[in-house]
Amino acid sequence: MSENRDVQLELGRTPLVIGGRDFHAVTEMVSSVVERRKWPIGWYIAFTISAGGLGLLGAMIGWLFYKGVGVWGVNNPVGWGYAIINFVFWVGIGHAGTLISAILYLFRQRWRTSINRFAEAMTIFAVICALVFPGIHVGRPWLAWWLFPLPYPQNMWPNFRSPLLWDVFAVGTYFTVSLLFWYVGLIPDIATIRDRATTKIRRVLYGFFALGWRGSHRHWHRYEVAYMILAALATPLVLSVHSVVSFDFATSQLPGWHTTIFPPYFVAGAIFSGFAMVLTLMIPCRTIFGMQDLVTMRHLENMCRILLATGMMVGYAYSIEFFIAWYGGNPYERFAFINRAFGPYAWGYWTMVSCNVLSPQIFWFRWARRNIGVMFVISIFVNIGMWFERFVIVVSSLSRDFLPAAWAYYRPTWVDIATFVGSFGLFMTLFLLFIRFLPMMAMAEIKGVMPEAHPHHGPDPAERRGTDLGGPTLQPAGALGRGREQ
Amino acid sequence: MKNGNDTTTGKDYWRSLEEYAQTPEFAAAVKREFPNATPDMVSENSRRDFLKVMGASLAFAGITGCKPAEGWPRWPEEKILPFTNRPEGRMPGNPVYYATAMELAGVGRGLLVKSFDGRPVKVEGNPLHPESQGTSDVLSQASILEMYDPDRMQTLKEAQGSSGEYARSWSEFSVAMEGRMARHRGSRGKGLAVLSEASSSPTLRRLRSQLQSELPESAWFEWEPITRDNERAGSRAAFGRPLRPHYRFDRAQVIASFDEDFLVSHPASVQYAFDFVEGRRMAPAGGGHGEHGGHGNGDARFNRLYAVEASLSPTGGMADHRLPVAPSEVESVLGELAAELFAAPGIDASAIDSVRSRVAAFRQGNKHQAFVKQLAQDLLAHRGASLVVVGARQTAAAHALAHAINSALGNVGHTVTFTEDPAGNDAPHAVQIRELVDRMKAGRVETLVILGGNPAFDAPADLDFAAALGQVDTSVHLTMYANETTAAARWRLPRTHYLESWGDTRAWDGTVSVVQPLIRPLFDGRTPVEVVACLLQGGLPKGYDLVRETYQTAFGGPSGESFEATWKKALHDGIVSNSALVSVNTGIDGASLAAALGSFTPHESRAGAGEIEVVLAQDACVFDGRFANNGWLQELPNTFTKLTWDNALLVGPRMAQEMGLADGDMVRLEAQGRSVEVPIWTTPGQAAKSGTLHLGYGRRVSGKVGTGVGFDAYPLRGSENLHLAVAKISKTGGNYPFSATQDHFAIDEAGFKATQARLSSLIQEATVDEYMHGGHAEHGHHPPALPLWDPHEYNGHKWGLSVDLNACTGCNACVIACQSENNIPVVGKTEVSHGREMHWIRIDRYFRGDPDDPQVALQPVACQHCENAPCEQVCPVAATLHSHEGLNDMVYNRCIGTRYCANNCPYKVRRFNFFNFNGGMSDLEKMRPNPDVTMRARGVMEKCSFCIQRIQQVKIVAKNEKRPIADGEIRTACQQACPTQAIVFGDLNDPKSEVRKLEESDRTYALLDPELHTKPRLKYMKRLRNPAAGLSATHEGHGAAGDDAHHG
Repeated sequence: MSENRDVQLELGRTPLVIGGRDFHAVTEMVSSVVERRKWPIGWYIAFTISAGGLGLLGAMIGWLFYKGVGVWGVNNPVGWGYAIINFVFWVGIGHAGTLISAILYLFRQRWRTSINRFAEAMTIFAVICALVFPGIHVGRPWLAWWLFPLPYPQNMWPNFRSPLLWDVFAVGTYFTVSLLFWYVGLIPDIATIRDRATTKIRRVLYGFFALGWRGSHRHWHRYEVAYMILAALATPLVLSVHSVVSFDFATSQLPGWHTTIFPPYFVAGAIFSGFAMVLTLMIPCRTIFGMQDLVTMRHLENMCRILLATGMMVGYAYSIEFFIAWYGGNPYERFAFINRAFGPYAWGYWTMVSCNVLSPQIFWFRWARRNIGVMFVISIFVNIGMWFERFVIVVSSLSRDFLPAAWAYYRPTWVDIATFVGSFGLFMTLFLLFIRFLPMMAMAEIKGVMPEAHPHHGPDPAERRGTDLGGPTLQPAGALGRGREQ
Repeated sequence: MKNGNDTTTGKDYWRSLEEYAQTPEFAAAVKREFPNATPDMVSENSRRDFLKVMGASLAFAGITGCKPAEGWPRWPEEKILPFTNRPEGRMPGNPVYYATAMELAGVGRGLLVKSFDGRPVKVEGNPLHPESQGTSDVLSQASILEMYDPDRMQTLKEAQGSSGEYARSWSEFSVAMEGRMARHRGSRGKGLAVLSEASSSPTLRRLRSQLQSELPESAWFEWEPITRDNERAGSRAAFGRPLRPHYRFDRAQVIASFDEDFLVSHPASVQYAFDFVEGRRMAPAGGGHGEHGGHGNGDARFNRLYAVEASLSPTGGMADHRLPVAPSEVESVLGELAAELFAAPGIDASAIDSVRSRVAAFRQGNKHQAFVKQLAQDLLAHRGASLVVVGARQTAAAHALAHAINSALGNVGHTVTFTEDPAGNDAPHAVQIRELVDRMKAGRVETLVILGGNPAFDAPADLDFAAALGQVDTSVHLTMYANETTAAARWRLPRTHYLESWGDTRAWDGTVSVVQPLIRPLFDGRTPVEVVACLLQGGLPKGYDLVRETYQTAFGGPSGESFEATWKKALHDGIVSNSALVSVNTGIDGASLAAALGSFTPHESRAGAGEIEVVLAQDACVFDGRFANNGWLQELPNTFTKLTWDNALLVGPRMAQEMGLADGDMVRLEAQGRSVEVPIWTTPGQAAKSGTLHLGYGRRVSGKVGTGVGFDAYPLRGSENLHLAVAKISKTGGNYPFSATQDHFAIDEAGFKATQARLSSLIQEATVDEYMHGGHAEHGHHPPALPLWDPHEYNGHKWGLSVDLNACTGCNACVIACQSENNIPVVGKTEVSHGREMHWIRIDRYFRGDPDDPQVALQPVACQHCENAPCEQVCPVAATLHSHEGLNDMVYNRCIGTRYCANNCPYKVRRFNFFNFNGGMSDLEKMRPNPDVTMRARGVMEKCSFCIQRIQQVKIVAKNEKRPIADGEIRTACQQACPTQAIVFGDLNDPKSEVRKLEESDRTYALLDPELHTKPRLKYMKRLRNPAAGLSATHEGHGAAGDDAHHG
């Protein structure tokens, strides 16, 4: 009865799983979502809308392929428009997952366990959305495979000096490693679902993907090693992928693109947007599927803190860009930034600043960090702001570069907008399928951070370092779980 | 073409028994089927000669098999003439050049046209022509597009009341005309009238006088909307007889232009622009310039140009001092100048005594004192080497006064000479067409033959020509395109393009060119000469015979050896030697001059309150409306407004501000009870209380391209004044979307400031004084730039291009030449508004200083072929590469279209095929493109290649001949077209080459190179301005380093 309270007092902070849940309860909570016979009508509605969005994306791509890139708003100075903005936007969102999984894992941030599956899935889906765009944005998409260094009769290699080629490698690697990482993490949980399966089809399918997991100590050993290695592999990729994406801009000589701050600035922005998107998705899911005990206010609060921190990082980047533009004495660069803030795209710039820098400041207040409504709204703001950040970088710089005679204004067309909306359709479709068919929380890992995982009730060393004297909690659970179950 | 008549020679294949039998029925059937092909094109003998001259080609032979009326192409089925033995000198795929000429508004332009396998593909200037000297202008360059235009009138038609139009054959027309002519002959031509475009064709003149002598009661009128009648009237006033002035700008040290855009809009502009720039070449020491020679010794002779005008013209843009005044006030400034000059001591008094007191009136209230005094002082200091020119839109009195001034300054015979005017004492066009309309309305015209033109659209609005035309029993319109007039005419005759015609014409200086066809008419067309001859002689005489007949006497006897030799030489050279007008000695006729200046009094703008003066101007693209269906021209950005596919009422920024008008706002202009609604476009430099409206837009009946483009200005144009309308202006509300290729004047504050701050380094300028004293050199400090990669080595050729900003008038000839040479597609107004125009070379235009009296800077920008090219680094598939000769090559079939190269290009010269812009070409249009240049597909990047196809051609020839490439042998299309030879291409590794010398000049700079270290191969030469020391700062040139803060 008082075990959890004791633990809480001992730890000095809110436990990661509350509501007195034991291992079995965790398994039940997570698995039952996947095992439901009847899904709520809301899911079907959401799925219909998302699939409609996906269909829209397909239709827009079809129209694009039929007519040419001219159906978009891109023009002569502004050669890149929504497609590249969306690409960077989605790649950025695809950062949170691996960051949560890999970096927080290596840093033993155990609170990550409740959200990492979710975030990793989001990463995969976001990178899929991102990968759509470079392929379709080229003038002759049927030849996009020339971007890969393949031996074929033209006997041509790609140009290794081009950052676009580095992109191909960076994003490709990131996607592959993220996918593996996610899948490896899923194996024990898929095995749990398999074991609980009541139909043959489920048994076969989940069994196939469980790769024969039996939960032996050897399995767990291999699993932990593999997971650690992948985390170590993925960690530098978190930093590299958006750094390389930023090279597309930084290595060019366009004022407003050609800045050394871009790699860290992009990575910070990516984490920022990624966490915002995790929040955006997590908050409704958590409520709908009753996961409040697994994804606690503490988790959300931590994410808000990260939003606050990364929001200020990007704010710092924005200001240092201006400082360098002034301090560097390059009149072209100076103008590029004056133009951002006061030129024809000033509305975009100030949208970005308001959403990214100003809006997260509310998280200085504890009540805001603990208010579901506030954090949901702010997370949406950050998503909007981060999209506009890419818009401002891509469009405002291109539309006014060196020769004023070549300046022009860029306007998206309806196809641009519909394609962007459609990419959300793709994302949400994948996401809804994910929560329908795969465990959305890493059951095995969550159990690992529950007090029951420590037979001696010795607090986890990482947890003990915490200083947060968290608020009151719910009643502790009465019964012990069954230990790690499969 | 062989027919079943007795001129058939050669191999005797027969197509049917009837043919074999040579029955009359067959002959009739042939005549019905191929009316324009019988009898044979020329007589047997001359046909062979013709072929010799023309070089019959496979395609040519193919075309003869086509029956034009039934769609194109129709390749011959029965008869093919393969070259089993290739004719000597003919290489398939090697271009052949033919000299010909194009007539525009009665003045010929000498051309040399490139033909591939029987298809003309590119128009160039004729180097042997005294005016062209190998260069050409926008309109002649673009004219080739019209020949392949499927919208042309293809077949002869007859309208019958309201029941529609019916296809007819030329023989039916001929028969119908024979009947009518018989009746007219009975009444000595009463009721017959011909309305012709202005034409200087000696053959047409010959036929015209024949018609008038045979049918003395018939009437022949001429109407040309863009007319220089006032100039002719002015010289008649000054000298007592109609003379045509010919200017020698190269000899003038001080030039004052009063509303005369002699650099671009004059019929002889190609020559005048060259001469003018010749007078201000600051040649590098030891270097001549181009094939035209030049000053080889660093000559500091540099003319000074003053311009007084209402609308900003290329001439005003080039001027060292420009005075914007209301259009009607221009002549007052001229009066002030005359007053100032005639009061000067030592002026040649005899010529001007009669008007001395009259012009003295202008001294009072001298509004433009500083300008006029300085100009007068300059002119007086350069007597005999100065020049005052007055534009065609100015009054006859102004022209007369200018002649008096030139005469008093001793310029006549030096900087200006006079010849007889070929139009002689013909009444002005406005008078002629009014006379015709009066006759039509009075029912005195039964048969009206309209040769070309479009009077129903462009005749003075008060005459209502279209209504009058309805009262004519039988109207005939010969026209290349069905237009507003055609729609009201009964007989609608297709006219041949000049590249399909035999004809002749005279240049501004009188030089006669024989127009020879390069291709057999694509459609069932005929020339004006042929139609007039049809009226005169009956039947369907051939243009070739008619033209030859004209020269039979001139070239010394019929069919004599000497005739053939002279004829061939005339065809080959494109000019008839010694045919230029002869200059005459002349003196001012004091009495006549005084009479002309009788009502010449100082005045300000004639516009009252709520009114403006509207200049009705010739358009640089559609001219008077005739080129409306020419996509190249419609899409060609205006030099200053950068508008495409439209005209607008151009107003000054101050006026727009005062009236609360933004670009595109609609206004109503009302004059003499007629009104138009047009959108406005703010244009710096437009004089206060005035506007400029270009003619020729708003065509109601044109082809797919030209119908409904822009706004018709003709309703404002009354016969009393063809050039100026004083109109009430009122805002109507509503806004019209324009498509301009460059951000215009009204830009946000930040952008405007940045533009102004950059100008001094982008377009570098200096005054002549600064340049001579070396005070022009530095442009800011830049940290040393280091290359990221090892620099390229260029062991063979190293191609480079030099653009002399001092010589660029902004005439756009290079843009169209490039479009024609490199198969650049037209994208349409919507795509231009999306910033997707495809021109490989664009002319950047900037203003600086007072928005209502700005300085203009122009800069042609094409691919700079950087040695350190930003585009090359970023292409992921290596589709844009550096050649061993320093060209930045674009590999179209490797390009996947990431557009990264365009983003990284600091000059923004790369053009992307956003759609399949070359798609949907008809088979006819497919004949036009230059076969040496790849047509680019959708999704591919393209850009200037330095005309690599021309480089390769010369390289191949030189290699076969085992010789080095001579300097100047390779000429890019833009270079070739440029009337002022501002563009020079060559090998930078050749120490003797022109381009190398220019590159080493201290005037040469590389755009953005100090900042970006791109090492461009295209280099610019600073523009020099030559401001007079005595003029106030607002008119002063300020090209010095760092002086960049002038903006309004």
